[in-house]
Amino acid sequence: MPTRPAFHSPAPTGTPARTTSRCTTRALGSLAGLVALGLLVAGCTAAGSTKSVGEPKSGGTLTYASGDAEPSCLDPHVGGNFPQALVSAQYLESLVSRNSTGQIIPWLAESWVPSADGLTWEFTLRDDVTFTDGTVFDASAVQANIAHLQDPTTLSSTGYLALGKVTGTEAVSPTVVRFALSEPDSALLESLSQPWLAIESPAALERSQDDNCAAPVGTGPFIVESWVKQNAITLVRNEDYVSPPADAGHSGPAYLDTVIWRFIPDSASRYAALQSGEVDVIDNAQPDTIVQAEQSDSIEELDSPRPGSSNRIELNSGQAPFDDVRVREAFIRSANVDDAVSSLFQGTATRSYSALSSVEPTAVSNAALFAYDPAAAGTLLDEAGWDETDADGYRIKDSVRLTVEFPVSTNQSIPAEQSVFEQIQATAKATGFEVKLRPMDLSSWYAALAGNDYDAVSAPYTKVGPDVLRILYHSDSIVPAPSGYFANLAQVDDPAIDELLTTAATTADAAERASLYSDAQDRILEGFYILPLYDQQNHFLLRSDVIGLRTLPTVAVPTLYDAWLNR
Amino acid sequence: MSDLEVQTGLSAQSRQSGPSRRLGVAEATAGVLALLLVASAVVPQLLAPGDPFAIDPLSAFQPPNFAHGFGTDESGRDIYTRVVHGTQYSLVIGAAATAIGLGLGIVLGTLAGMLGRVIDFTVNRFLEVLFAFPGLLLALLFIVIFGPGVVTATIAVGLSTAPGYARIIRAQLITVRSQAFVEAATVLGRTRWQILLRHILPNTLAPLFVLATLGIGQAIVWAATLSYLGLGAEPPTAEWGAMLSAGRTYITSAWWMSFFPGLFIVLTAVTATVLGRSIDRRMRHV
Repeated sequence: MPTRPAFHSPAPTGTPARTTSRCTTRALGSLAGLVALGLLVAGCTAAGSTKSVGEPKSGGTLTYASGDAEPSCLDPHVGGNFPQALVSAQYLESLVSRNSTGQIIPWLAESWVPSADGLTWEFTLRDDVTFTDGTVFDASAVQANIAHLQDPTTLSSTGYLALGKVTGTEAVSPTVVRFALSEPDSALLESLSQPWLAIESPAALERSQDDNCAAPVGTGPFIVESWVKQNAITLVRNEDYVSPPADAGHSGPAYLDTVIWRFIPDSASRYAALQSGEVDVIDNAQPDTIVQAEQSDSIEELDSPRPGSSNRIELNSGQAPFDDVRVREAFIRSANVDDAVSSLFQGTATRSYSALSSVEPTAVSNAALFAYDPAAAGTLLDEAGWDETDADGYRIKDSVRLTVEFPVSTNQSIPAEQSVFEQIQATAKATGFEVKLRPMDLSSWYAALAGNDYDAVSAPYTKVGPDVLRILYHSDSIVPAPSGYFANLAQVDDPAIDELLTTAATTADAAERASLYSDAQDRILEGFYILPLYDQQNHFLLRSDVIGLRTLPTVAVPTLYDAWLNR
Repeated sequence: MSDLEVQTGLSAQSRQSGPSRRLGVAEATAGVLALLLVASAVVPQLLAPGDPFAIDPLSAFQPPNFAHGFGTDESGRDIYTRVVHGTQYSLVIGAAATAIGLGLGIVLGTLAGMLGRVIDFTVNRFLEVLFAFPGLLLALLFIVIFGPGVVTATIAVGLSTAPGYARIIRAQLITVRSQAFVEAATVLGRTRWQILLRHILPNTLAPLFVLATLGIGQAIVWAATLSYLGLGAEPPTAEWGAMLSAGRTYITSAWWMSFFPGLFIVLTAVTATVLGRSIDRRMRHV
């Protein structure tokens, strides 16, 4: 069947300037004389391939090696974490998607209209889509999925929270579904674009949860064929596939016959497997291997920071010593983050000065607030009463040492990031902070947070759109969920911020909403509640004969739909 | 020199002049290394005057050169300084763990060897249950219960080596107990505890010294293993196992980060083993 040219405009991923410019420079060399800027962009976003690659070829098996944990359930409705999103994007699809400029674009829903009061939304669905088990995709299928997400026995966390304002759904016709809301939700479309709210076959959802977890059924370009736990998931092509999102590179079925989805937790082994050609794509690439890969002709890089929050250290303002804004500012001024990031990430990560990811168009950045200034930090500590020093060089006040408990989840922080924390520990010591780094496993880490046994913590949060600010900094989020977890780990309790975030979440006008989020971010940054480090890193390395791999601009998971093997 | 000559030489040696007073090359090297390691542990500042925690981000990942003999790590810390300062952790953990293991072994072995059949049977079955677990698994179990850290790792290694020591001590006790001088003491009306303290224990302790020297090498390796797994020393402590673990991530780009800590773990373990065997050989000839 005819295929469209393998480029798409605008660029499909939120690729930061650094990678793009590197690609562009290389591309200029090899593609000198070619006029279409679109080709340049495509050359970069299609995994940095700069060679003229010709027409896409169908066939072949691609092996993907993930460094994330193996999910316990392949249905992202259940729980809802990033490892699930990575693999489920290959076989499940959402109602809407998002393009690289942050606009919501059609996917399984062709169009949507909110009511004037913002309390009902009507989605018009595609009428030509069938689930891979033969069930027809229609309004009742959407209803079944919303019901499944909101059913407490599903144990959904991410999807459940995202649908917090949805009170019910109604099938107006087979192709029109109406959502009823308790109050206007300006983040509804962003929420629905996430892989954790993907649409599954209602017939498949009626099976037991174990069966559905083992092989969820969707409308996506691939089908889950088998899953050998602790080993690999095998996906095969959906021959009847018709529903790519509006920004995809081609139409019709995917090019690849089969995808083998493996799990290799050790980063050095994962990179070795890629080097030897045993696997074709790896995720969670470490900075030093990315730098090595830049010198290699057979390996390319795809950099696609995750949306939602930036990666930052949150300072617990709910207890001493960080209940004093001067001590928070002193800590931030005493931490030499720039040198740490440049030495450890070796140019693969850009310093952030924002609460939000750089892919969020509403992100506010303020570098002046986070400059390394040990002298100013010392003065601030003097003013705050921490004006004496003990024998080890740490500040003391009322004979209590200025100690910062910093639990670190070794499952969530890559080694380079743990080293960043060590360097912050060393530079903050010069000002008189005793930072106690506590590496621990995930469950101990959750326990430390739930027990309020921390002064600083790093816990990035992925969500599409600026509504993530409400989850992270609204005082309601200090109240723990039944699981004991609360997202407002900085324990920001500021009525003005609450007011801004609540209003923004119900404001439909895009400009007004952006302005409210901008004000809220100013207050958060100026309150020195967080120390932004960099975007949530999301680097992929791939064999250079893998063409057309891109990430979905929703939560930056890769999609293998456009990918093909040039071998 | 023919094989025959070697053999006659050896037998003549053992028969006539007792142990050789000459040091082999391996023993001499091990002796010098042991002295250096002890010096590193006691006065690290003498051999490496720098601060093992001093970071220098701008000179990170430097391969071995004149300024940094062993190179630098991901934060620009000098690996030579860290390896030297790390000796004290490894030696202290190794010695303390061996002491714990031996202490427990002596208590259990003495109970089994001295207090009659019922206790002997009970202690033996208990030791067999412990033997069913590989030693490291026992250590892991202990750390899971009591949480990671240098102290728990030390105790864990000590505990997991105790059953082995207990067995050997029990066997040694039983051998010594049946010797003529013990029977003589019994005939003379000494109490059981007097015999144990005055006659039996002193005669079992000599082999224990050899065991301890050999055990330190093993304990150091195990303690480094636990730190490598993230269950012992916490970063950025300059402990060899923890350094090895930190270097593993960069093994394809910065081999020196894991090579030098690894080299020192091996050197220390080999040194302890060579010295232990050498002492063993000499004592057998006495």
